[in-house]
Amino acid sequence: MATYSPGRRRVVIALALTSLFLLTLDLRGNQVLDGVRSGFGIVYRPINRAGEVVSAPAVRLWRSFQEFDDLEEENRQLRAEIDAQRSAEISAQNAIIENQDLLALAGLESLASYGSVTGRLVGQSPTNFDQQVEIDRGALHGIRVGMAAINEAGLVGKVTSVAPQSSIIMLVTDPSYAVPVKILAPKDEVAIAATSTTVISVADSDDTAVATNEANGEEATEGIVETTTTMVEIIRETGVLRGQGSDRLPRVSFIAPATAFGQIEVGDPVFTAGGSTSLAPPNIPLGRVLNVITRAGTAGQELEIEPTADLDRLQFVRVVLYQPASEVGQ
Amino acid sequence: MNDVRARVWVTRTVLVGFVVLSLQMTIATEIRVFGVVIQIVLAFVVAAGAASGPGEGAKAGFVLGLMYDLASGLPLGSTAMSMTFGGYAAGWGRRYRLEPTWWMLAALAAIGAAVGEVFVPVIRVLTGETGVFGARIAIVLPVVALSAAILSPVLIPIARWALAIRPAEVRVTDADT
Repeated sequence: MATYSPGRRRVVIALALTSLFLLTLDLRGNQVLDGVRSGFGIVYRPINRAGEVVSAPAVRLWRSFQEFDDLEEENRQLRAEIDAQRSAEISAQNAIIENQDLLALAGLESLASYGSVTGRLVGQSPTNFDQQVEIDRGALHGIRVGMAAINEAGLVGKVTSVAPQSSIIMLVTDPSYAVPVKILAPKDEVAIAATSTTVISVADSDDTAVATNEANGEEATEGIVETTTTMVEIIRETGVLRGQGSDRLPRVSFIAPATAFGQIEVGDPVFTAGGSTSLAPPNIPLGRVLNVITRAGTAGQELEIEPTADLDRLQFVRVVLYQPASEVGQ
Repeated sequence: MNDVRARVWVTRTVLVGFVVLSLQMTIATEIRVFGVVIQIVLAFVVAAGAASGPGEGAKAGFVLGLMYDLASGLPLGSTAMSMTFGGYAAGWGRRYRLEPTWWMLAALAAIGAAVGEVFVPVIRVLTGETGVFGARIAIVLPVVALSAAILSPVLIPIARWALAIRPAEVRVTDADT
């Protein structure tokens, strides 16, 4: 009996063409295939759960073998870091409250304005070419495709697939991930740029305030000197952040070499830009500029961004129930 | 008879498929070797190909690839296509030897796994994704191929049962009688 024949070649060609056909249908969006996927998920979920239970001891053994030394060292470093950050946390909390009050006064939306759903990680991408995770919250909890996923440190990714009880989140490092971002000036620069001094003249009987800008070199008249600091963010530049794969840092492209608000420097914070078409709401911290890459010609600059969220150690993820104006009602 | 065998084939392959898929999604994603996820489903597909030939390997690859796509949320057909080619490549060597030794089967499994895994980024590029081909593939391919070869002595008997393949000498005896 021959193990190879032209008939078998035809089978392979037929299977490859069928795969291509299904791929085309799925990429264009097909409700029948979505239904099949959903049905398969219902059948497969209990089997996967059983697999988790069975494999849990082996996984724990492997982790303890692999990660013990690293965890011990990291634990030591984290304890030192916690001590250093305790005082910073108090002032940061105060700043957050102030910021939210100001945004509310100005009628602007902040991240706190949106509802969110917290999910536990129940799976990771089984392939070597995708950066995805699965959480145990889905459409029944209000999650929709495209919503941003965050954790305490910042942006984690976006929802790409939703089942009734679970969702798949594409991480910011995935090559298919893209989000509009803004690069801000560091905090100290923001404060200096927005500080103004007001001198209230005592001589004025009607208590009229006379504003004098110190930067103009004008001498302050006698009276009560009041310094007001308004937190105005300085956007150095906006661009599009794209994932580059698990072994490379995400990059921001479309950056002009010279920006109106100073040169982009290593350490500058990066936040989501938001906007009517962006799937992520504005002002979610994403990371810091780690490298500024200057490219030849008119290609402009590219920035390597170090994400603030540790994507290798995710346990819980919060999905922000935000949909941009362009998506609402669709 | 063929219908009965086909039904047995599909039932057993899907059942085993669920088990290996579950292992893939749980243990394989956690236990990484040099940061690479070992592809247990692909290892089973190439074991099926190495045990039975290119046609059966391709069919097993298609079925298990579809299950993989459905379970992982990947575009339907993408993994099915890469595993079809992987199973086919693993079975290709069977045309030269009817009943290969265990190490020949392991080598065929390794070749099939490398072919199947290399097709993953190729198909991604065809669907418009960028940045999937990187230096990382130089680590991914050897690890995936080697793990498939190591797992083949365990997976080939399971694949033979799932695909209802009888040993060659039994087939010859049947043919004579």
